[in-house]
Amino acid sequence: MLGLLIGVGRGTARWLARVGALARFAFEALGSLPTLPGAGRRVAARVLLNQLRFTALQAVGLIVLLSGVLSYLTISATITQLSRVGASELIGELMVVVIVRELGPLLTALAVVSRSGTAITAELATNTVLGEVRALEGLGIDPYHYLVLPRLFGCVLSVCILIVLFDVIAVFGGFLAAVAFGGMSGARYLGIVLSNLTTQDVVLTVVKGLIFGTVIGVIPSYEGLSVRQGPTEIPQAVIRGTVGSIVVIFLFAALIVAALQ
Amino acid sequence: MTPPLVFENVPLGRIRRSTIGGPAHLPVDADGAFSLEVQAHSTVVVVGDETSGVNLLGGLVLALDRVPEGRVLVLGTEVAVLDRLAQLAFRRKLGYLPAGDGLLQNLSLRDNIRLPLHFGSDYRPRDIEGRVDVIVAQLRLTRVADRRPAQTNAEDRRRAALGRALAFDPDLVILEEPFDGLTERAAAELLELARGGEVSEGGRRTVFITGQDLPALLRRRVDRQVRIRRGRIEIPA
Repeated sequence: MLGLLIGVGRGTARWLARVGALARFAFEALGSLPTLPGAGRRVAARVLLNQLRFTALQAVGLIVLLSGVLSYLTISATITQLSRVGASELIGELMVVVIVRELGPLLTALAVVSRSGTAITAELATNTVLGEVRALEGLGIDPYHYLVLPRLFGCVLSVCILIVLFDVIAVFGGFLAAVAFGGMSGARYLGIVLSNLTTQDVVLTVVKGLIFGTVIGVIPSYEGLSVRQGPTEIPQAVIRGTVGSIVVIFLFAALIVAALQ
Repeated sequence: MTPPLVFENVPLGRIRRSTIGGPAHLPVDADGAFSLEVQAHSTVVVVGDETSGVNLLGGLVLALDRVPEGRVLVLGTEVAVLDRLAQLAFRRKLGYLPAGDGLLQNLSLRDNIRLPLHFGSDYRPRDIEGRVDVIVAQLRLTRVADRRPAQTNAEDRRRAALGRALAFDPDLVILEEPFDGLTERAAAELLELARGGEVSEGGRRTVFITGQDLPALLRRRVDRQVRIRRGRIEIPA
């Protein structure tokens, strides 16, 4: 029994230490922004653009596919049932609550974690193992400026953009499904959806984009830079970064729902 | 006048890493304390085997690592006690060529040389380009400057790493294992480039080199060579 308690205690202490280190890393990274020199800003902006290209632009196809399929499945599976009980008006609320407000941000964040979160961890872990990060610090270059901040802001912007794209495609996909399978006119469908979409939904979507993007920018970067033992630790760091990001994103999604009830 | 680099009773066996990123150190078999003074405009080499602690000295100078006792004075400053931003700013006064080059693999050699100037100065882009062009020409890298490190040979990579270290024309240069894998001729040329010509005070740069060995051709060209064993300077029998 005592052994179990000791084990739980140690595990909790390790977890708390990791959360603390992660929070410190995030604050230090954001706190380094004002000290970014003018010439460094241009280089960081180039890295940021590269991150946007990789995280947002190259993910458009995946987001369109995920969003289109999800809205098709949701609408085609529910519209017939709703029509039978004379509740087809609920399709708009279903689209807004389930897809636009909840699943859109969540699935977009998961897609970005799986593509870019893993890449960020692997890239920074490789930089670390090859001694590049230590060399940067030895030359007086802040790794937060060159490595972390462009990726962090790249992820935040990308997730926000992709969530909006996801929602637009989902609504459009739902439109096609409602017309094709539900026998609903396009104008009626759009009218129902738009009447259910409030300013709060739009704000909430953006807030979720900011939070999820920050999580994807911070946790994989932290895990990548935490590699110490060599190349064999890189896959473990990628797993830690990916799983950690997914867990924190789900926790935040639940917290936001709980806070709004 | 205080020497530009002073190690005072540094216990190399108890070193701790203090940077954001970097691989763990090899275990050091050291029970002694290391002390050494490097005089201005001199070239001093410390050699020793992998477990002697020799590969920790460069990191201590730059405060990339820290020790619980003793101190390292660099240009009269104990860098380890400064805060993180002050440490970063101070390191820009020094030149640093890390073991294994530390060049960023996704940048060209030219971009690698350019990087410290972008992040460590408020120079205008035109001034940065001018400085980079001078370094590239001085180090005879013009032909390969736009290639990435993996597309060049070891000598060119080492030259580029040295060019990056000399970007701010520092008075004190720290070189870790700079001659590994180079021919004696290339090593001698690299050493001369690191020492440089005249600097502001009218002398050559102070150069501090660490490594496992020094090529025979270079032994006559350095001012002092010491061997380290178990964390302290070995006194010849």
